[in-house]
Amino acid sequence: MLFKINFNSGMPVYLQLVDQVKAAAASGALQPGEALPSIRPLAEELRLNRNTVAKAYSELESLGVIETLPGKGCFLKQNHSPLRKEIRRKLLIEEIDEAIVMAHHLQVPGPEFLKLVQERLEMLEDKRRANEEHKEK
Amino acid sequence: MNSSTPAIDIQNLAYSYGKAEAVHDLSLRALPGRCYGLFGRNGAGKTTTMKCLLNLLRPQRGQVRVFGRDPARAEVDVKRCLAYVPDQLAFYPWMTVRETLDYLASFRERWNKKTEQELLDRFRLDTAKRTAALSKGQRTQLALTAAICPETDLLVLDEPTSGLDPIVRREFIETVIGAYQEGGLGERTIFVSTHLITEFEGLIDEFTIMDQGRVVLTLEADEARHRFQKIRARFAQTPPELDFPGALHVRREGRELELIVNGAGPALIESLRQQAPEALTTEALTLEEIFVAALKS
Repeated sequence: MLFKINFNSGMPVYLQLVDQVKAAAASGALQPGEALPSIRPLAEELRLNRNTVAKAYSELESLGVIETLPGKGCFLKQNHSPLRKEIRRKLLIEEIDEAIVMAHHLQVPGPEFLKLVQERLEMLEDKRRANEEHKEK
Repeated sequence: MNSSTPAIDIQNLAYSYGKAEAVHDLSLRALPGRCYGLFGRNGAGKTTTMKCLLNLLRPQRGQVRVFGRDPARAEVDVKRCLAYVPDQLAFYPWMTVRETLDYLASFRERWNKKTEQELLDRFRLDTAKRTAALSKGQRTQLALTAAICPETDLLVLDEPTSGLDPIVRREFIETVIGAYQEGGLGERTIFVSTHLITEFEGLIDEFTIMDQGRVVLTLEADEARHRFQKIRARFAQTPPELDFPGALHVRREGRELELIVNGAGPALIESLRQQAPEALTTEALTLEEIFVAALKS
């Protein structure tokens, strides 16, 4: 998997790595069981502090997105969040609320916001399907 | 050694060359396992600060500690736990690369031969060559090899990449990340002074910007990129003549307005929004842009 760091985003660097793995997993660009680059070459390649990469990986591990097999490396897990359903919902609600506040400030009305969410969901599903089909070939 | 003892602890350091004050009341603290950047323009006092850490200069006021020890009193102990790549590299010109490494290794308790070979291969250094015949890039590579092989807890780099070509600079940083940090993840401390900030951006955990011997700013890198923002707004007409409290820098260009802010972003964005701009964007500053902003304001 290839990463891209943007120092102009204002987002902590380790979170950029975390988000990119999550996005790749959600779109199917990264498949369960597939290996992530190991810490040293990835840190060298991106010229990042190794502790930053290690922090991203341990965050992903505690979120249940990846697993570390000793001596083998890090792999994407089947999508099983270790969190209970109500906690998962609560975390999602926080993110949704933030997007709603943003929509208000950008003067995007409710129905248009919902339509956008629908569009984005479909886009991600299309991507997933494309990645699935590609895998089957 | 207590693990919470700072790798480097500088308090109220002052040093003058005759009447010229190089460092004025400098305080900073680098915790173990971190990569700490000391940023400043040429002549800001970075090298003088580094020399005080290594007992090459004695502080005239204040104190410096390396892992809790005073470099002036415990010079050998301090030098045992650190490696240094100075800005002015000096090797014995008649020695070959091989002889130079053996000579430097003879002062060290530890010397990782395997790492040495890996780095010689990576840099394609000819061990039979005399150091006098090495290029500037190769001399830096030799100095870095000699600094990494002893596997010290602290690596001090003074302007390590200035004057090098982009390939050598990139390899240098990759080597620091790959070979030096390899040993003890989360344990090895890097203290680097530079004005080539962009290259070290991803490596830096925390930094101090100094100017004319004084501290201008000390921040965590992620926190700095969060606080420092560039806000751009475009209006239908000439932008309103507003006061922007908290803006470090305001630039007007026709219908456009650009603000550089430190922490005051959200409030200023709100007040700009009330003026109904056509477009309003924000972007975090990189460490180099923060450096420029901090020194210009």
